[in-house]
Amino acid sequence: MEVLDLDHAGLVAGVLDGDRRAIARMLTLFDDASPGSREAAGSLAAHAGRALVVGITGVPGAGKSTLVNALLGAWLERGHKVAILAIDPSSPISGGAVLGDRIRMGEHGSHPNAFIRSFSARGELGGLSRATRAAVDCFDAAGFDRVIVETVGAGQSETAITAMADTRVVLCPPGLGDGIQAIKAGILEIADVLAVSKADLPRAGETAHELREMLTLRRANPDQAWKTRVMLVSAPEMKGIAELIEAVEEHGRVNGHGRRLKSPALDIRQGHGTLENSGDADVWRERLSALTERDGLCATLGISVVAGGPGRAEVAMTVDARHMNFNGGCHGGTIFALADAAFGLASNSHGALASGIDAHITFQVGVRPGDRLIARAYEYSRSKRIGVYRTEVLRIEKENKETPVSAFTGTVYIKQ
Amino acid sequence: MNKSLSSSIEQDAVELTPYLAWEQEYRESIGEDRPVENVSGIPIKPLYGPQDWQRYGHDNPLSYPGQSDYTRGIYATMHRGRTWTQRQLIGLGTPADYNARLRSLMDDGATAVSLIPCNSVFRGYDMDTVDAELLGTCGVVLNNVDHMERSLEGVDVGKISCALNDPSPFTLLAFLLVAAERRGTDWRSITGTSNQSDYISHFVANHMFYRLSLPGARRVLLDHIAYCKQYVPRWNPMSVVGQHMQQAGATPAEAMAFTLSTAIQNAEDCIARGMQPDDFLPRFTFFFDISLNFFEEIAKFRAGRRIWSRITKERLGAKDPRSRRFKFHGQTSGVDLTRQQPLNNISRVTVQAMAGIFGGLQSLHTDAYDEALACPSEFGARIAVATQNILREESHLTDVIDPLGGSFYVEALTDQMEEKILSIMKIVDEAGGMYKAVESGLVQRMLGASAQRFQNRVDSGEQVVVGVNAYRVDEDASAHTIVERPDPASMQAHLDGFAAWKRERSAVEVEKALDHLTRTAEDPSGNLFGAIVDGARANLTHGEICERLRRDLGFGQPLTIV
Amino acid sequence: MTAKDFRPRVLVTKIGLDGHDRGSRIVAAACRDAGMEVVYTPPWQSIPAVVKLALEEDVDVIGISSLATDHLIVPKLMAALREAGLDRVRVVVGGIVPDNEQPQLFQSGVRQIFHPGTTLDEITTQISTYASEARLAAAETGV
Repeated sequence: MEVLDLDHAGLVAGVLDGDRRAIARMLTLFDDASPGSREAAGSLAAHAGRALVVGITGVPGAGKSTLVNALLGAWLERGHKVAILAIDPSSPISGGAVLGDRIRMGEHGSHPNAFIRSFSARGELGGLSRATRAAVDCFDAAGFDRVIVETVGAGQSETAITAMADTRVVLCPPGLGDGIQAIKAGILEIADVLAVSKADLPRAGETAHELREMLTLRRANPDQAWKTRVMLVSAPEMKGIAELIEAVEEHGRVNGHGRRLKSPALDIRQGHGTLENSGDADVWRERLSALTERDGLCATLGISVVAGGPGRAEVAMTVDARHMNFNGGCHGGTIFALADAAFGLASNSHGALASGIDAHITFQVGVRPGDRLIARAYEYSRSKRIGVYRTEVLRIEKENKETPVSAFTGTVYIKQ
Repeated sequence: MNKSLSSSIEQDAVELTPYLAWEQEYRESIGEDRPVENVSGIPIKPLYGPQDWQRYGHDNPLSYPGQSDYTRGIYATMHRGRTWTQRQLIGLGTPADYNARLRSLMDDGATAVSLIPCNSVFRGYDMDTVDAELLGTCGVVLNNVDHMERSLEGVDVGKISCALNDPSPFTLLAFLLVAAERRGTDWRSITGTSNQSDYISHFVANHMFYRLSLPGARRVLLDHIAYCKQYVPRWNPMSVVGQHMQQAGATPAEAMAFTLSTAIQNAEDCIARGMQPDDFLPRFTFFFDISLNFFEEIAKFRAGRRIWSRITKERLGAKDPRSRRFKFHGQTSGVDLTRQQPLNNISRVTVQAMAGIFGGLQSLHTDAYDEALACPSEFGARIAVATQNILREESHLTDVIDPLGGSFYVEALTDQMEEKILSIMKIVDEAGGMYKAVESGLVQRMLGASAQRFQNRVDSGEQVVVGVNAYRVDEDASAHTIVERPDPASMQAHLDGFAAWKRERSAVEVEKALDHLTRTAEDPSGNLFGAIVDGARANLTHGEICERLRRDLGFGQPLTIV
Repeated sequence: MTAKDFRPRVLVTKIGLDGHDRGSRIVAAACRDAGMEVVYTPPWQSIPAVVKLALEEDVDVIGISSLATDHLIVPKLMAALREAGLDRVRVVVGGIVPDNEQPQLFQSGVRQIFHPGTTLDEITTQISTYASEARLAAAETGV
C-alpha cells in the first residue's frame, strides 16, 4: 500500500496548538517510523523541555499499571495536564499486541486533561525507543506538563527508558529476597526512586530494607545531586502516592525538567556506565540517535545514526536537491556537516561535554543527488582536556563498495 | 511337543472372548477410527462395558436416590414424585408490561415467578441516568418498591416461589420484602432464590452483574445470608452459579469445578463468620448451564452431586443430610443456539433440557428459540414452556428415577468427570481458594483458553454446528423474527412517573437512609443488607443504593484478560 | 509507507450496559494473532469515552460487540465520531442484531455487522481491509 506523503508542518503546528487529533496522528507516524517523522520529531523536540517526564518500570506483576493510574489521578487532581505512554509487549509470533488494557482499567482516562496512548514493543528496541522519545517530546511540546512512560517489565526497554525520562521510578514487588539479583543490576542503577509496591504485604518492609542495603553498596557518585530514594507504596489504597509524587517532583526541581533534553550526553554515562565495554550496538545507536534527533541541523539535512560505540560514531545521509551548490554538485558545507556530526557524536560519547575548537576537511571526489554518504568518526587521541578525532566520509556504491569522499580531522576541548 | 503346540495355534483360530471378537470386528469394519474427545477433554471410547466402570461390583456400589453420595439424585422420589419447577426467566419493559407477561406465562403452566430486571438495573443505575433507547429491552425497569408492587400485582408471594436475578447488593429482594410488608405478607412464608448472589462468577464471567468491589461484594453477601437466615428463613440467599462460566467458555468440567470451589469459598467465609454449616448449607443452591453435549452434561451433574456430598461432610463439617444435597437449577445454553435457521434451536433446547432432566435437576429454564436473534419474543417463550410440558407430560421421561444410572458409559463417564473436576479444584485450592484464584486472574485465563479452543474447533469444522458450518441453506431473511421493543410512549410515562415520585418523597428521609448505609458500611459488625432493606423502606432507589455502596465499598471493576 | 510497515490499530469495545464479553475477548485475541495492534476495553464504555480512546489511540477500526440491545445506541456513537472529526475510522458491529434493526445501523455509517456463526478468519480479514481504507483516508486528509 502506498500512502501519500503528509503535511508534517501542518501536523507539527497542530501539535504545538494542542490539537489532540494532530497529536494522535503524529504519534502514529513516529510509531510507524514513516518518512518525515524524524524531521518532525526534531522540530517538536525544539519546543520540549517544560514537562516533567517520569519513566515507570519494573518486573511484570510489580503493579506498574495500578501505580500509573494512581499517579494520573493525583496529578489530574492537582490540575496538571497528564499524558501517559504505555508500552506493551507484542507477540513474537504474529507481531500483534493487545495494548494498554491494564491502564484503561482505571477511572481517570476519560478526564479531559488526560491523554493515554499505547505503543507495542514489536520486539525491536531501536524503533521503539526512538518512537517513544519522539512521542514524549511530542506530548511535552503539546503542553502536557506531566508525562508518564510505562514500560513492560522485562527486556531491553528498561535501559532505554533512561533516555526518555527525566525521573525514573523502578517498582519492585515485595518479597524479592534472593530474587533481587533477578532484577538486572541495570534497572536498579537507573532508578531515581525505588518504590516497593503492595506495601500492605508482610515482606514489603523487608524488601525496602534490602534495597537500601544494595544502594549503599553502590559506588557513590560525588557529582550526583540526587540520592536514590526507597519508598513503600500501595496504589489501590493510595498509600504512599502523595510521598512518591513529592519525591518525583523534588527530583524534577533538583535536576530540572527536561533534563533528558538538556544534557543527553550525561544520560549515556549515567545509565550505561557498564555499556562502554559491552559493545551493545543497539544501545549505542539509540544513545547517539537520541542526540541527533535533538540536533536541528541533522534533522534539516536528514542525517541519521548508523552505529556507535565509545569514541566512535557512524552517520549517514542521502544527498538530494536541498544539498546542492550552484554548480549542481553537493555543497562542501553539506559534507562538512555530515563529517562534523560524526565527530560531535564520537567526541561526546564518553559522557563529558566536548566542544569542538578546530576542524578541517579535504574533498576528493564529487557527489551527486541520490548518492548515499556515510561518515565514520573514531578517536585518534584523547587526554584529560583535549581529544582529536578523524572522520572519513565515504560514498556507498553498488554492492556496498565504499569510495572515499573526504577526510576530516577535528579537535575538542573536554569540560570537566 | 512345543512345535506341535505352536503349529496348532497357527492352524486353529484362537477362541476369542465375545468382547475381543467385537473389538476385532469393530477395528476391521470402522476403517479409520478418529479419536473422540468430549469438551472437557476426556477421551470417549466406542463402547463401554463392565471393565470401564471401575466401581462396578466393588466395595463402593452405586447409592440409591436420596442416599449419600447422591449420585442418583438428592431425593428418594426425584421426578417420579414431584417434577422440576418450571421457571422461565422473563422480564421486559415496564412493571405493567412484565406483570401482564408473567400472568400469561402462569396461565400457560409456569409454576414459579422469575424476574429479570433491565440491564440498567443490573449495572446498578436508575432509569433516568442511562440511554433511554436501552430501557426495558432485556428486562423490566424496576427501581423502587412501588415498581416491585406493580410487577407482582395479583401474585401472592407468600404462596409462590420467586427467583430474582438480583446481584449484590440485593436491592430487588429488599424491594420484595418491603412490598410484602405493605401487603401484610409474613416474611416467613416467602420462598425463592437470590439467583445472582454469586459475586465471584460475576467477577470472572458475567461482568454485567458485577457492581461492587470484590471485598465489598463478599461482605454484602455474607450479611445477606445472615439476614435471610434470621428473617426470611425459607429464602435461598446463595445460588452458586456455574452458568456464567460455561457461557463464557469454560468446559463442563471446569464450570462444575469452579462452581464447587466457589461454594467452598462462600461456605468457608460463612464459617469464618461464626455460622454453623448446617445453618446455612441447606439454603445453598446451584445454577448451571446445560449444553448440547448430552452425556457429558448428565455425567457433570451426577459427578457434581457426588463431590458436593463429600465436601460438605468431610471438609465443611455438615451433619444434616439437607446440607449435603446438591440442589440445582438448570438453564439450557444460549451459546449453543444459532441465528441461522433459528427454528432448529427448538431441537437443541429439547436435547439440552433432556440432559438436565436426566442429570437430576430441581428446576429448569428452557431458552426460547429466538434468543440468538434478540431477547425472546412472547411466541418464542411460549414454545419454550411447551417444550418442558411435552418432556414432562407426553414423553414419559420422568417415570423412572435416574434412568441412565447403571449405564456403563454414563457411570464410567461420571467417574472420569469426577476425577477431572477434582483435578481442576485442586489447582484452585493450590492458588489459595477461589477468591484468590479469581483475584489473580488464574480462572479467567483458563476460561479464556477454553473459549478459544472451542471457537477454533467450530471454525475448523471439527465441531459441527448445523446451519453454521454445515448444512447451510439460503434463507429468506424475512423468516427471521422481527423484534418488538418496549413502547416508547409507555416507557416515557414510566420515566415521568419515576421523576414525579422522586420529587414527592421526603428528601430528609432519603438523606438519613443514605447516611445509615454509609455508617453501616463503616461498621464491620453491622448488617449491610438490613440497612438496604431499611433504605428500600425509606424510598431509596436502586441506583441510589448501588451508588452509595460503590462509593463506600469500592466500584466493581472486573479483571478482564485477553 | 508500505503494507509491511503498517499494522492495523483496532479498538475492540462494548458500549452501553451489557457485560457479556466472551465474544469481544475472542475477537480481540484473534486480531492480535492476525498481527494487529488491539486496544481492548472492558464493557460499558460510554460513547464519549470510546470517542476519546479512538482519537488518542488513533485507531483505524472500531469493533463494537453487542449481545443484548446495545446496538441501539451505535448510531449515537457514529454521530459522536463524526463530530470529533473521526470520519475516517471504520466501525463494525458484531453480535446479535435483529434483522429489522440493521438498516438504521448501516444508515448511520456502520460498515459491516458480523452475526453469530461468522468465523474469526472472516472477521479479521474484513477488519484488515477496513483498516487499510482508514489509513489511506488518513494519508489523504493529513489527520
